[in-house]
Amino acid sequence: MATFEPVLTRNWNVPDARSLKVYESRGGYQAARKALTTMDPDAVVGLVKESELRGRGGAGFPCGLKWTFLPKDRTETLMCVNGDESEPATFNNRYLLERDPHMFLEGILISCFATRASTAYVYLRFEYINAYKIMERAIEEARAAGHIGKNIYGSGFDLDVWLHRGAGAYICGEETGLIESLEGKRGWPRIKPPFPAIEGAFRKPTVVNNIETLCCVPHIVERGASWFKSIGTPKSYGPKLYTVSGHVEKQVCVELPLGVSARELIDVHGGGVWKGRKAKAAVPGGISMGILSADELDTPLDFDGPGKVGCLGLGTAAVTVIDDHTPIIDYLHNTARFFSHESCGQCTPCREGTNWLDRTIGRIKRGGGRIEDLDVMHDLAKNMGIMPGTTICGLADGAAWPIKNAVTKFRGELEDYIRSNQVPGAGPTPLQVDVAAGRKVDLVAIGNAIPAPPPPAGALHSPGRPTA
Amino acid sequence: MATIIINGEEYPIPDGEKLNAIQMAKRVGVEIPYYCWHPSLSVVANCRMCEVEVGSKDPKTGEVKMVPKLVPGCQTPAKDGTVLVTDSERVREHQRMIMELLLLNHPLDCPVCDQAGECGLQDYSYEHGQANHRFVEERIANPRKDVSDLIQLNSDRCIMCTRCVRFTREITGTSELQVTRRGSHAEIDVFPGVTLDDNPLAGNVVDLCPVGALLDKDFLHKQRVWFLSGHDSVCTVCSTGCNISVEENKGRIWRVKPRNNPHVNDHWICDEGRYGYKADSAPDDAIPGMFVLGKDGEHAPTAIDAALRKVDRGLKDAVVDGKLVAGVLSPFLTVEEAYLMARYLKEVTAAAVLAIGPVPTVGEDRTFSPDKSEGRAGDTSFLVPRPFTIHAEKAPNARGVRAVLEHVQGSVVEYDELLGSVEAGEVGALYVAGGYTGDWIDEATAARIREKVGFVVVQDSRVSALAHKADVVLAAGTHAEKAGCYVNADGRLQYAAASLPPRDGSLPGLDIFAVLLDRPGPAVSGAVLAELAVAAPAFAAAKGGVVPDLGVDLGGEPRGGPEPPRFLDAWFVPMGAAKSR
Repeated sequence: MATFEPVLTRNWNVPDARSLKVYESRGGYQAARKALTTMDPDAVVGLVKESELRGRGGAGFPCGLKWTFLPKDRTETLMCVNGDESEPATFNNRYLLERDPHMFLEGILISCFATRASTAYVYLRFEYINAYKIMERAIEEARAAGHIGKNIYGSGFDLDVWLHRGAGAYICGEETGLIESLEGKRGWPRIKPPFPAIEGAFRKPTVVNNIETLCCVPHIVERGASWFKSIGTPKSYGPKLYTVSGHVEKQVCVELPLGVSARELIDVHGGGVWKGRKAKAAVPGGISMGILSADELDTPLDFDGPGKVGCLGLGTAAVTVIDDHTPIIDYLHNTARFFSHESCGQCTPCREGTNWLDRTIGRIKRGGGRIEDLDVMHDLAKNMGIMPGTTICGLADGAAWPIKNAVTKFRGELEDYIRSNQVPGAGPTPLQVDVAAGRKVDLVAIGNAIPAPPPPAGALHSPGRPTA
Repeated sequence: MATIIINGEEYPIPDGEKLNAIQMAKRVGVEIPYYCWHPSLSVVANCRMCEVEVGSKDPKTGEVKMVPKLVPGCQTPAKDGTVLVTDSERVREHQRMIMELLLLNHPLDCPVCDQAGECGLQDYSYEHGQANHRFVEERIANPRKDVSDLIQLNSDRCIMCTRCVRFTREITGTSELQVTRRGSHAEIDVFPGVTLDDNPLAGNVVDLCPVGALLDKDFLHKQRVWFLSGHDSVCTVCSTGCNISVEENKGRIWRVKPRNNPHVNDHWICDEGRYGYKADSAPDDAIPGMFVLGKDGEHAPTAIDAALRKVDRGLKDAVVDGKLVAGVLSPFLTVEEAYLMARYLKEVTAAAVLAIGPVPTVGEDRTFSPDKSEGRAGDTSFLVPRPFTIHAEKAPNARGVRAVLEHVQGSVVEYDELLGSVEAGEVGALYVAGGYTGDWIDEATAARIREKVGFVVVQDSRVSALAHKADVVLAAGTHAEKAGCYVNADGRLQYAAASLPPRDGSLPGLDIFAVLLDRPGPAVSGAVLAELAVAAPAFAAAKGGVVPDLGVDLGGEPRGGPEPPRFLDAWFVPMGAAKSR
């Protein structure tokens, strides 16, 4: 990897890199100038399509292809930038926003030019207060310098950029949930079709892209598609910001070509597992993607790698390391609690299923588990999330994969935990078990008996009356 | 011809309608279960109950390609070549899961729940659910709330289909209801300081609710729904003529539910109509029988035939005296009653003056005009927005009575004109057919009429100021007790069946006039309507006395082809013994 030259992080260690002056002195806005003054919008779309840039937000949908879905005869296009980075342990967008806001703005400018969007909304996570302030300042600077506004670089292209802060909901990172929230509604994802490219924010054609995706665009314009495709692994091209967190010596955000293995990230970039311990498992890319066992750490983290070992995908490339002192039930407990808390409550499987999983795992952790709970959890996870199409958005999938992975890959440990952690009173009561199983409840046995009433008075020869 | 393949069989798709998979399957007798979908509300696909396997058939090669995932039927358009599979093991397993999940936190208090018997959860549990459930945790028990003086919300029974929320946003545009909190803690609630009290269509959220979460306090714990018999009727509270089902048990009306009619009321009725049945169901001031004013100034109960002979004689005496005979036909009469009454009075004397009774008017017309964008969410491509109007004219048949009068005497005499003739002392006998639900005449006017007119007949269902002074009082049926047709404000003739038998001592108006006219046989509204259709060009559309199910537009061109069936949520369709009631 000696030849790899980081581009997304190139300004991070430069003093005062947030300011427009420093950014411009390091070649900033040259790509935007090139695109706007010498290129046709469709040529930019074609270039991005040729580079096979895939969305960095999680699903990995080809960015150029997404742009071509916009209707040809549209009169107004909107750009929504998804900065609602709420996946636990993910912080690469935050670095981009806080350390190099102008590169991001340049990405917005070129992408809006390519899609003919005259308004861009940047939807920022509520908690990113610093990033919000930094972006505000950067937009002001860019506007004063003519990088945003009317007739940019004399090309006749107008662009306005607005910042919008969310209100702290994970679901608003889903593109249609984001659009609903931006419109001032409850952040409930919409059904597709219509896709946002046809009918998005304010019922207009809308492009929704991740921050990191847009940050790749200026470099593609500057260096060409073949440069971009020279980095990474087949079908997963380009540089990617990986974040390493959890039980490692140092938590970092590093830029590497796609396809690096989790083991390399942990050992080389994260300084190894902390306290000299060994890794038991690692989350490949945000907790909704599932979990890698210790044997699977050599999996290349590109868009297809994690899928081969039973995970959902690359996700946000946020690697979280779990050391061998941590019970896997703790990981499950945190995961299930997160998804239960963040489920928006719209679709039945996700609303009820995440809550059920959370309660079951909580009970197991408290010492009231039963072995059959694992089967129920696995079955439920399979039905609610693994089977495609059960819900409107992907949150249920994200909630189901960690459960499925953990129950299949760490079943022995979970069974051991359940057997060795039985706390009296923590499990379901016999009444609950009987009711759930549909058995007739013996009220005397559960100590809830009401004295039996005297037998009803009946005629001497009434049917069914026992003969004396 | 466009065709769709459902479970391996090919069916033609009706022209001119945009149907989704649920509607299309229902037309051909295949049921796709659903909760959140409603034909007049936007498609949000959040209950996930209607998920089916969807594919398409290539028109050239005939090759069928299925979508790998399950797709909600509510958002799948029925297009040429669409392939639906609704009974595969995959679909069934999904339905079992949804049922299990919906019942996790549902209290299962069916024995004390008003919805039991017409509940989506009950019906689908039986059909698509499983007998045991695996949930052994504590249930979430959300509180019971009052969302208005007439509606209560049992949040614990709610399945979060959001039909009620969408109704207040999309149809009335008032947005009182919302979803609060998130995930499994999500609840339906009103906004702080807001209630549904000011929403004139609020009661519809109770009908929309597929489970027992939103309940009508007026009906609460009064009857089990399987004891009720529904009768197809038309609301008489205003001139909209909403199609309703009057639900009765043991001679008493317990509630009124709307029936779908796309030409009139779509799926809704207003609260005024919903609770208007109280005026018709055994009112306290119902006239208990036929009375004749004696020489002592007291009304004496009289046998029906004697009272009717007295009426006939009194009217004919006035003709002999050379005085005018006048009739007042209230706008609450059915078309058939008005026609027979007019014919009878014209038979007594061709010079009889027929006037329309006072038409009560309250406030102004109020129209709700939902469109495809305002307040809508999700997919709106299947919607046909229809306006709903609450008319200021609080009588069901002013148009019909006017049309009858125009046919019989060529012009309509207004009530005030008639009062002028009465004042001038020209009227010797007056026959008033009422039927009003409220007070329609004040004491002073009644006294003036009594003073100026020699012979007064009042035929009414409730006691009025004039009835106290009339020579003969005839007890006629209330709206619930009579069958007949009404012409609504848009000129649509609709048939309303009787919901209750005539109360003791009374006769429906149609029978009274039939006796007076000496018509042979029982008075059947269809037969009378058929005569009217032949005689009066205005009613030609009701040829043969047959009124189509959705009514017929008297002014317009007759529609070709059969109308689409009325929509009724699957769980409201009567089952078992109730089917044959």
